[in-house]
Amino acid sequence: MSIQFKSIVELRGMLDEKLISASELTQETLQLAKKYQELNCFVTMNDEVATKKASGIIPSDEISSWLEGMPLAQKDLFCTKGLRTTCSSKILADFIPPYTATAVEKLEDAGAITIGKTNMDEFAMGSSNETSFFGNVHNPWKKGYVPGGSSGGSAAAVAAGIVPAATGTDTGGSIRQPAAHCGITGLKPTYGRVSRWGMIAFASSLDQAGPLARTAEDCAILLNSMSGYDSKDTTSLNSDVPDFLANINQPIDGVKIGIIKEFNLGELDSEVQARFEESIKTYEKLGAQFVEVSLPNISASVPTYYSIAPAECSSNLSRFDGVRFGHRAENTDDLNDLYIKSRSEGFGDEVKRRILIGTYALSAGYYDAYYKKAQQVRRLIKNDFDHVFQSVDILMTPTSPNTAFKFGSKGTQNPVELYLEDLFTISSNLAGLPAISIPHGQVNSLPAGLQLIGNFLKEDQLLNAAHLFQKNSDFHLAQPNLEDFS
Amino acid sequence: MDQETVRTICYLARLEIDQKKSNKIQKDLETIIELIGGLQTIDTLDIEPLYNPLEMTASTHEDIVNSDNEKEKFLKNAPASNEDYFLVPRVVE
Amino acid sequence: MNWETVIGLETHVQLSTKTKLFSRASTTFGANPNTNVNLVDCGLPGVLPSINKEAFYKAIRLGMAINAQINQTSIFDRKNYFYADLPKGYQITQMDLPIVLGGSIEIFLDGTTKKINITRAHLEEDAGKSIHDEYDGFSAIDLNRAGTPLLEIVSEPELSSAKEAVAYMKAMHQLVTYLDVSDGNMAQGSLRCDANVSIKKNGDKELGTRTEIKNINSFKFIEKAINFEIKRQIKVLESGEKVTQETRLYDSVKDETRPMRSKEFANDYRYFPEPDLLPVIISDEEMSKIKDEFPELPNEKEARYQKQFKLSAYDAQIIASSKSMADFFESAANQTKNYTLLSNWLIGEVSAYLNKELIEISESKLNVDNLAMLINRIDDQTISGKIGKTIFEEMCINGTSPDEIIESKGLKQISDDGAIEQIIDTVIKDNSAQVKAYLEGKDKLFGFFVGQVMKLTQGKANPTSVNTILKEKLKK
Repeated sequence: MSIQFKSIVELRGMLDEKLISASELTQETLQLAKKYQELNCFVTMNDEVATKKASGIIPSDEISSWLEGMPLAQKDLFCTKGLRTTCSSKILADFIPPYTATAVEKLEDAGAITIGKTNMDEFAMGSSNETSFFGNVHNPWKKGYVPGGSSGGSAAAVAAGIVPAATGTDTGGSIRQPAAHCGITGLKPTYGRVSRWGMIAFASSLDQAGPLARTAEDCAILLNSMSGYDSKDTTSLNSDVPDFLANINQPIDGVKIGIIKEFNLGELDSEVQARFEESIKTYEKLGAQFVEVSLPNISASVPTYYSIAPAECSSNLSRFDGVRFGHRAENTDDLNDLYIKSRSEGFGDEVKRRILIGTYALSAGYYDAYYKKAQQVRRLIKNDFDHVFQSVDILMTPTSPNTAFKFGSKGTQNPVELYLEDLFTISSNLAGLPAISIPHGQVNSLPAGLQLIGNFLKEDQLLNAAHLFQKNSDFHLAQPNLEDFS
Repeated sequence: MDQETVRTICYLARLEIDQKKSNKIQKDLETIIELIGGLQTIDTLDIEPLYNPLEMTASTHEDIVNSDNEKEKFLKNAPASNEDYFLVPRVVE
Repeated sequence: MNWETVIGLETHVQLSTKTKLFSRASTTFGANPNTNVNLVDCGLPGVLPSINKEAFYKAIRLGMAINAQINQTSIFDRKNYFYADLPKGYQITQMDLPIVLGGSIEIFLDGTTKKINITRAHLEEDAGKSIHDEYDGFSAIDLNRAGTPLLEIVSEPELSSAKEAVAYMKAMHQLVTYLDVSDGNMAQGSLRCDANVSIKKNGDKELGTRTEIKNINSFKFIEKAINFEIKRQIKVLESGEKVTQETRLYDSVKDETRPMRSKEFANDYRYFPEPDLLPVIISDEEMSKIKDEFPELPNEKEARYQKQFKLSAYDAQIIASSKSMADFFESAANQTKNYTLLSNWLIGEVSAYLNKELIEISESKLNVDNLAMLINRIDDQTISGKIGKTIFEEMCINGTSPDEIIESKGLKQISDDGAIEQIIDTVIKDNSAQVKAYLEGKDKLFGFFVGQVMKLTQGKANPTSVNTILKEKLKK
């Protein structure tokens, strides 16, 4: 029985019924990864360690944890002890961390087997996976099309059925947008829900780790393990972690869902609109009520984000200086020359662009006008959310205004064109709110995503709503034809 | 944003731009700055900046040492080191 | 022309916590290079700072002692610049909201006191250390010090001479050691300062252009560096030129300051709130606790010493002026009753020895038990004060206890009157000429007889008994 395209729940069943051993599961997963190498999902494989760990798992009749023996892929932005971690950048092309990120460690402690590290936009800066030093990742649904970004490798690996689930990180939509473009489910938790320790920082006040999987149910399983307070991250939340899986089947009649007026959905592609209308109907049938709500400042999300994120990144990426780790340029005259050459050789164009913007936004004379101003607008945006969540439970938007596009077709002339793709996802990062993307059909044979945004710490509501949708539809079961890649 | 500003920012960020790409980068930066500049129309008088979505206070660690000597691991990761130190081209103070 | 000097000091005090400000690595001085370094201190990708609250308590203690305003909400900022011993490419510090605001400190110079106002004091992490001249073509980086908590105390520009600057640093040293905020060890860099020096014409309202002398770490160098800089600036101004605003380094070998090459580019530090750290709030309860546990300050000790130990005002002041001396005194006072003798010894022999060796009492071989024992032996007349000095020298060299030295060298005082009488009889018999002269009125010869007795007893005879018996015998 093939393991490809199976969910965690299904694979758990196969393992528990001894239809397959953990060892076989890992071997088959590694073979699938190899078979679909052309997708370019992976930067580094973890064959040896994965094989060893899987062979140590002895089948027993006792009830095992959900993730015991489960193969997972980790975004190459999580530090993994002894396993190369590159952030898809030349500057870290040979970096082997001496420690493991908390989120990964928790999954591995629960029994998960890391089979490899997935490709991504360099330092998570991008929405198309085209900024990776290790090359583009193909969208499994269409060769030559982007998988979305920045967690593009993770999304493509799950969509191609190689792994049942993968980790990702989301700073402005980096889990949700590739999940949407690849036709899978992706959850960005509340800021602080998952520890950031060991996640290579892009923008500290926006970054959050989360799962990409085939179903909301599987996302709940991963989130159960990844969440929780970590004393090593002072911005991690010291709140109770509910059992996200246990509460996933609650009825949602009476749940109020808001549609954001300011997003002017009427201006979108008619097919994208059509999918959205159909999803509204599905939820209405499940008993949800829809209301139009106004978030007056939400249109300012994109400029706000593109001031804050580059500013934080310009400082976060200063540690890549060629002194203690990472790429160092040869034949340099002095220390300054070493910094300039190592960094200029090591970083790609988009990363440089963002560092420069951030440096500018923080520099003397501009701080108040750009950085501080953006943080003030950020509060206005958060206030808008606080206000609407007094009257609705969930907000619903398309995840992305468009479906996946062709390599090189967007943002090459004008980077802002690509930034605007993040319009629907960015605001929940600014406000720290949880949001999930689920597949809800296709537009021109490419998957389209539906986004649900929840109030602070309300991942359970989102997973519940997403799960009921998936119980009443089969979009999440669609499988791409991978002939072109094998 | 003029060439001089671009040069200053590049120096502060310790980056140099390929001469061939310099016009394009300058144009990109201008476009992005224009995008961010759009925020100026929003009235934020008396609005406290929101630097982190969590409006809580930080937890703290006890003043008890909990750390191993990992010198060898750190020095091994360094592009240049001897048995005790990270090495960089000589700095004259 | 008459010139006026204006000096402001930025003092860096290493707080004596066990762990670093943002990591749980040790702050112990003198460890092998790069061994007190963890993932956070090394600035590896993906690491995050955590906060050591003990550093806050120490900073607040200092703030309270100088009557400053304490900001109970602390926010950290990043100061961005590249340097080889700054692992993250930024230093975590406090820009807009320093933990300590205002306050003042009194300095003592030539018998007068002067109040120097404090602008602010903020918490920040120290950088690592660069060694520039030991490896051919390379600078070597040691990150042991990286992340050590510092309190940077900024004074108003109210000091007007190098001597005042030294007095300020001495007052600061006394304060931080008294408060147990820092070990104050200047040689190890626990207390160091940057001096902002400018010159203006007498009576001018406006300040002159200032230069900043970086990283001076001894009282002597502070005085020399500032004096050099004053003379240099006057020379520049008198030749009709202008002082350049710059950062300078003091070279103690050449006794001069020179501009720092590595700081030649104007920097823009791009401060912004540290997004990896949420604000730290010190509760009112914590504030009261710090107040309740406030250590006794020098003037309070002085008063108590006069009352409790009946020390003279002068002795009390000298002993209380140094925290390590005061601690030593109080421990020894638990083991002896003769407080006056103890304080005499501390102010006399002990201080002289420490000054000669240029060390702190804690660095010497002297310990409380031994000194207290020595005082007791003098007090109970086992030995004379003079023999005490011999024993003290030996104690300082190898830390042996006085009783052992007395025993092994047979230094016990002869207090047996019979034995002394016999010796005196011998002396009188052997020196009949002098006895005759004495009896004829040459009173000064009395000392000669005492000397002879001491010579015969190797100094061990009880001087009081010798005096009494001699006087008695020479009358006859």
